[in-house]
Amino acid sequence: MQIRRKASAGTMQSSDLMVVVEPSDALQVDIESTVKKQYEHLIRARIASTLEELKISAGHIQVSDRGALDYAIAARIETAVRRASGE
Amino acid sequence: MRPVLFDQPVLSEARRLIESHGLRFEPEFDDLVGLFDDGQLVACGARAGYVLKMLAIEPSHQGTDALGELVTKLILSAISAGHNTVFIFTMPQNVASFEALNFRMLVTHGQTALLEHGPGLEAYLAIHASQITQGSNGAVVINGNPFTLGHLHLVEFAARQVDRLYLFVVREDQSVFPFDVRFRLAQEATAHLPNVTVLDTSRYAVSAGTFPSYFLKRLDEVAAAQMQIDVLLFAERIAPRFHVACRFVGQEPLCETTAAYNKIMAEVLEAHAIRCVELPRIMAGGLPISATRVRDAFAANDFDTLRELVPSATLAFLQSPSARPIAERIRSKMEKA
Repeated sequence: MQIRRKASAGTMQSSDLMVVVEPSDALQVDIESTVKKQYEHLIRARIASTLEELKISAGHIQVSDRGALDYAIAARIETAVRRASGE
Repeated sequence: MRPVLFDQPVLSEARRLIESHGLRFEPEFDDLVGLFDDGQLVACGARAGYVLKMLAIEPSHQGTDALGELVTKLILSAISAGHNTVFIFTMPQNVASFEALNFRMLVTHGQTALLEHGPGLEAYLAIHASQITQGSNGAVVINGNPFTLGHLHLVEFAARQVDRLYLFVVREDQSVFPFDVRFRLAQEATAHLPNVTVLDTSRYAVSAGTFPSYFLKRLDEVAAAQMQIDVLLFAERIAPRFHVACRFVGQEPLCETTAAYNKIMAEVLEAHAIRCVELPRIMAGGLPISATRVRDAFAANDFDTLRELVPSATLAFLQSPSARPIAERIRSKMEKA
């Protein structure tokens, strides 16, 4: 799959996250999180594995997280990417 | 019942809610969202460009996730308008609520705090990282509407005093000369100075046009608060990253607002161990050179005067066909005034 245009998914409510994806030549993942200190490495790992499953190798991914659980992270990332790919 | 979001709540109802929170209703905005519970408006907020404002939540719904819902809607609307980073100007007591939504504090002073959400300042600094050099550097911040011999004099003087001079051109497009023209003319007119780097300020020059005043009790506080926030943002967040030890400004003999701004700036910069050097304006025809004079002469098609006021790069642009619509805009502005 390819990120062809700007798209977003999710909300900024508690226990959720908002994802914005945009086309870019390289893969860049920016994470803001209320639990960044404790869990950034786990959030990053879950985003990386989700992007890998979707075969995304390029794009600018911005995440604003308010303590979402890992399956919510995967679901929001997938939704944003599918919207950006034009599916 | 779960509250539902609408894009256009009844305006008068929103106004009442905003005013009941001790805020002022500002009619300038691109989007207004409301949160309804059982048909009642319980929360609302607006967006003007990349600035969120007038967020108000009924006491009965405070402590719920109403703020998260409002901000979600406003940020999505900002993103689809092309603004990945948004600003909120608010009162210091609300800072924690916004930090819980991943907003980051940029600067605070008195009754005003400025926070941002999105890639923001760090992304701006990362883009310019390769242009940052060590040493004792200087800065000049101009609107350059358009670039004059006065600007050139200030830049040439400043460049001799420092290792590297950063010439920041204000990005905000509230001037008759559009940003890309103002930026290009600053580059062309200073191309002969090897230690001058021209940069854009991005959003990090807070102009009176960007600064909302709805949360300040008294209108006479507005101009001073805006200036303080703008200078603090430069002194605390921009200058240290560019190793700026000195800022150079042109003396302001005519405009009272700019003169007041320069006075506040000198005080704030000195408190942050940054020198502030004020340079007298150079004269032409017995009067100080200013961009206002250039615009007047340009509107009057007076190229003999313009030759004495602007460098060759600016003159060449003013003589080009692409400058004609700008002359029209200046003339129509003068007629209105």
